[in-house]
Amino acid sequence: MLTKIADQRDIDFVLYEQLGIESLLTSKKYQDFNKKMFDMVLKEAKNISVKEFLPACAECDKVGVTFKDNMVTVPDCLRKPHHLLFKGEWGALTEDPEYGGQGLPFTIAQAAMEYITAANQILVSYIWLGHGAGKMIELSGTQKQKDLFVEKLYTGEWGGSMLLTEPEAGSDVGALTTSAKKMDDGTYELTGNKIFITNGEQNLTDNIIHPVLARIEGAPQGTKGISLFIVPKIWVNDDGSLGEHNDVLCTGVEEKMGLHGSPTCSLSLGSRGKCRGLLLGEANKGMEIMFHMMNEVRLEVGTQGFTSGSLAYLCALDHAKQRRQGRSIEKVGDEEAAQVPIIQHPDVRRMLLRMKSYVEGMRSLIYYTAFCMDKKELADNDEERDRQSKLVEILTPVVKAYSTEKGFDVCVEAMQVLGGYGYTREYPVEQILRDCKIASIYEGSNGIQAMDFLGRKLFGNKGKALDCLVKEMKECVAVAKEHKAIKDLATDVEKAVDKLEEICRNTMGVIMSRQMPSAFASAHPLLDVTGDVIVAWMHLWRATLAQTRLDSKDRIFYQGKITTAQFFIKTILPVAMGKLDAVTYEENPAVIMEEGAF
Amino acid sequence: MNIVVLMKQVPDTEAPVEIAESNVAIDTEDTKWAINPYDEFSLEEALLIKEAKGDSKVTLVTVGPDHVAEAIRVAYAMGVDEAIHINDEIDDEVYGAVDPHTTAAIIAAALKDVPFDLIIAGQRAVDDDSYLVPALVANKLNLPIISLVTKQETTDTEINCVQSIDGGTAVVKAALPALITTQKGINEPRYPNFRAIMKAKKKKVDERELEDIGLDPENFGINGAKVKIRSMEFPPERGQGKIIEGSSPAEKAKILVNLLKEEASVI
Ligand SMILES: Cc1cc2nc3c(=O)[nH]c(=O)nc-3n(C[C@H](O)[C@H](O)[C@H](O)COP(=O)(O)OP(=O)(O)OC[C@H]3O[C@@H](n4cnc5c(N)ncnc54)[C@H](O)[C@@H]3O)c2cc1C
Repeated sequence: MLTKIADQRDIDFVLYEQLGIESLLTSKKYQDFNKKMFDMVLKEAKNISVKEFLPACAECDKVGVTFKDNMVTVPDCLRKPHHLLFKGEWGALTEDPEYGGQGLPFTIAQAAMEYITAANQILVSYIWLGHGAGKMIELSGTQKQKDLFVEKLYTGEWGGSMLLTEPEAGSDVGALTTSAKKMDDGTYELTGNKIFITNGEQNLTDNIIHPVLARIEGAPQGTKGISLFIVPKIWVNDDGSLGEHNDVLCTGVEEKMGLHGSPTCSLSLGSRGKCRGLLLGEANKGMEIMFHMMNEVRLEVGTQGFTSGSLAYLCALDHAKQRRQGRSIEKVGDEEAAQVPIIQHPDVRRMLLRMKSYVEGMRSLIYYTAFCMDKKELADNDEERDRQSKLVEILTPVVKAYSTEKGFDVCVEAMQVLGGYGYTREYPVEQILRDCKIASIYEGSNGIQAMDFLGRKLFGNKGKALDCLVKEMKECVAVAKEHKAIKDLATDVEKAVDKLEEICRNTMGVIMSRQMPSAFASAHPLLDVTGDVIVAWMHLWRATLAQTRLDSKDRIFYQGKITTAQFFIKTILPVAMGKLDAVTYEENPAVIMEEGAF
Repeated sequence: MNIVVLMKQVPDTEAPVEIAESNVAIDTEDTKWAINPYDEFSLEEALLIKEAKGDSKVTLVTVGPDHVAEAIRVAYAMGVDEAIHINDEIDDEVYGAVDPHTTAAIIAAALKDVPFDLIIAGQRAVDDDSYLVPALVANKLNLPIISLVTKQETTDTEINCVQSIDGGTAVVKAALPALITTQKGINEPRYPNFRAIMKAKKKKVDERELEDIGLDPENFGINGAKVKIRSMEFPPERGQGKIIEGSSPAEKAKILVNLLKEEASVI
C-alpha cells in the first residue's frame, strides 16, 4: 500500500532552504508563530492524511456517488475523514481566526495542503469550495452575512459550492441566463439551470451554501451585468437557525472519468418559483468579487495537478525499486545474470528523472507563488506590494495551466513505469491519472489561462509583470554564475530567460497587428514554454543552494538536486528553446486554415 | 480524579532505522520520533475519563532527552493538562534510563510528589518491546496492576477492566490507586485539532533532572542497569515468496501441506 504521499525532505528543502520562510516570522502578523509550530502543523497534516484521508481515497473511487429522488449520497467512507477535517480545523488554514480560520502564512498552508490533497482530492474539494464561498462572503458580504455564513463555511461544518456553469455558458460565463428578481423584503428570487456543479448536492453536511452567478432583470448583457448571490440549500434565519428548504433541486449527476466520490450536479433553481437568494456585494459586480479569490483558487487547482504528479512519481519510484525484470544492460546476453530492479535500466531512469525534475520544479514554482502572496500581504511599502502582486499575477496562470498539464503528463509516465500493473486497478496510478485530468479543464480551462496570460498578464500591464519576473530570474542567474561547477547551467538558463523575454515582447507586439489571431493561437505554447523556463530557473536556484551543501551528511540529497537540475536544463530546456522558436512563427497555419479543410 | 499517563517517545515506526557504530544502539542522528502508539491509547483513555468525570486532571510523565519535548507538545495538543519531563541526560549523550529497571526507578521517583488515583501506561513500547516498565513502576509504588486493558470503568474508588488474555478476555477489578496498561482496541486516539496545536506551543513543560527528583546519577545509566545490550542486528531479509500452482484449491492445499511438512518441517 501507498504510505509515502509526499516528499517531506523536498518540502522542507523548499520551505526552509530555498525560500527561507523563517523570514516571515519577523513580521508582526506572524510573531506568535515559530518554526517548531510550522513543523508540528505539517507533521500533523501528514499524520492525519496518511492514516485517515488516504485509506478513503480508493474506496471513494470504487463506490462513487449515487443519485436518487433528487438526492445525492456520497460514499460512506468519506464521513469519518470529513468529520476529522472539521474537528481538526483544517478547513481554512490561511484565514482570519475570528471566522474559524487559522491565520497561517500561505506558504505553510500550501505545504499542509500538499499532504491533504495527495491523500484525498475528494475531501479537498470540500475544503476548497467551503473556503471559496466563505472567502467571497468575508470579502464582500454585509456584517450579518459574514456572521451567518463565514465561520460555518471555513470550518467545513457546512458545504460550499460555486454555481457558474450553464449549458450555454461554460468558458463564456458572460452568456449565462440565470436570472434574479428583487423581492419586497430585499431578497432575490432566482430562476435558472446550472450544470457541472461540484458538490452541488450531497449528504455530508447539514447545509450547503451556493454562491450563484445570475443576472438581475434588466441588467446589461455579458459579464458587466452579472451579480453574485448567496443561495443556501436550507434557508438560514437571522438568528442562525435553519429554516425552510430552498427551491434548489438536483436533477442529476454526471457519470465521469474520475473524482467519482465527488458529485458533479445539475441544479435547477426556482423550478417551483421559490428559490431565494441574498445579493452578495453590489449588483452587477459579481465577476469582480469572483476575481478577488481567483488567484487562490487557481493555485489550488494547480496544486491538484502537481500533487497528482508528485504522488504518481512516488508510486513509480517505489515500483521501480521493487520490480525485477530484465538484466543489467552491461550484462546483455548473459543468460545466467540475475534480473535487476527496473530502476537500473537507463530508460526507466530517464523516465523517473524526468518525472522528478517536473515534480520538484513545480513544487518550487507553486510554493514560491504562495510565498509571493505572503510577501505581498506583509509588504511595508507600495512598491514592494506592487512588485509581489505583479509576480503573483503573472505566475498564477502558469501555476494553473503548467502544473495541471505537467502533473497529468507525469501520471502518464508513471503508468508507463509500472507497465501492465499501472494499467490495472490494483495499483493507484490509474486512479490518480483519471482524477487529475479535470484540473486542466475546470476553473478556467487551460486555453482560457493562456489567453489570460497573454492578454492580461503580459499585454494588459504593458509588460511590467514580465519585467518583475525576468528580474527575479536574472538575480538567481547572477548568483549561480559565481559557482564554477554550475556556471554552465546558469549560462543556459540566462539564454533561455533572454529569449523568453524577447519572444514575449514580440508576441505582445503581434497582438497590436493584423496577425492578432495568430498571437492567440500561440498563447498556449507561450504559456507552456514560460513554465519550462521558470522551472529551469527553479532548478538553477535549487542547484545553487545544493552546491554549497555538498559536504554535509545529506550529500546524496544535495547532489541529487544538482543532477536533477542538470537533467532539466540540459535535456528539457533545449527543447523549450525550440518551442520558443515555434512561437515566433507569425502567421500561424492553425489560424489561416479554412474550416472545411480540417 | 488525578490521572497520570506514562509516555515514551520512540522512533517513528514508519521511518527507517540504522544501527549505530557502537552496535549496541540505533543511530538517532536523523531519527524521526513519535509517541509510542500504545501510549496514544493511554493518553486517549485518560482524556476520555477526564471528559466523562469532569473535575479531573491528566498529568503526563515522560523520561527522555531534549527531543522528547516534541512528543510532549503533541500530548498537550491532544489535551493533557500538565507534563513532567525527566530529562535523563547525565552527560553529553550519556543517559540515566538505559533499561526497564532504571527507567522504572526514575518514573517511580518522579511520581513521589505527584498526586494520582490512576496511572495509565501502554502495554509496551514498540522500540525495545520489553513490556516491563509499567509492571516495575507498579511494583515500586506498591500498586495493583491490570495489564492489556481493552475496556475500563472507573468509579472514585475502584476500576473495573476487561483484559485480553490468551484466547479470550477476563474481567478484573482493583481498588484505586492502581496502574493499568492499554491494549489496542481500547479506543481510537484523537488527532490534535489545529487551535490546540497552536496553544500547545505556549504551555510550560515541567522539566527536571535526576537530582531534582532526589536521584543520584551515579546509580543510573550503565551503573544501574540490569539489562545490557551486547549487540544489535537487523532480522534476516525475507526471502522470495512462493506461489503454489495447482488446478483446484484442494490440490493447492495438498501441495502446501506437503511443503510445510517436508521443506519447512514445521508440521
Ligand atoms: C468534474 C467537473 C466539475 C466542475 N465543477 C464546476 C463547478 O463546481 N462550478 C461550475 O460553475 N462549473 C464547474 N465545472 C464546469 C467547468 O468549469 C467547465 O466545464 C469549464 O469552464 C469549461 O466550460 P465548458 O465545459 O462549457 O467548455 P467550453 O467552454 O465549451 O470549452 C471547450 C474548449 O474550447 C475552448 N474555448 C472556449 N472558449 C474559448 C475562447 N473564447 N477562446 C479560446 N478557447 C476557448 C476551451 O479552452 C476548451 O478547450 C465543472 C466541470 C467538470 C467536468
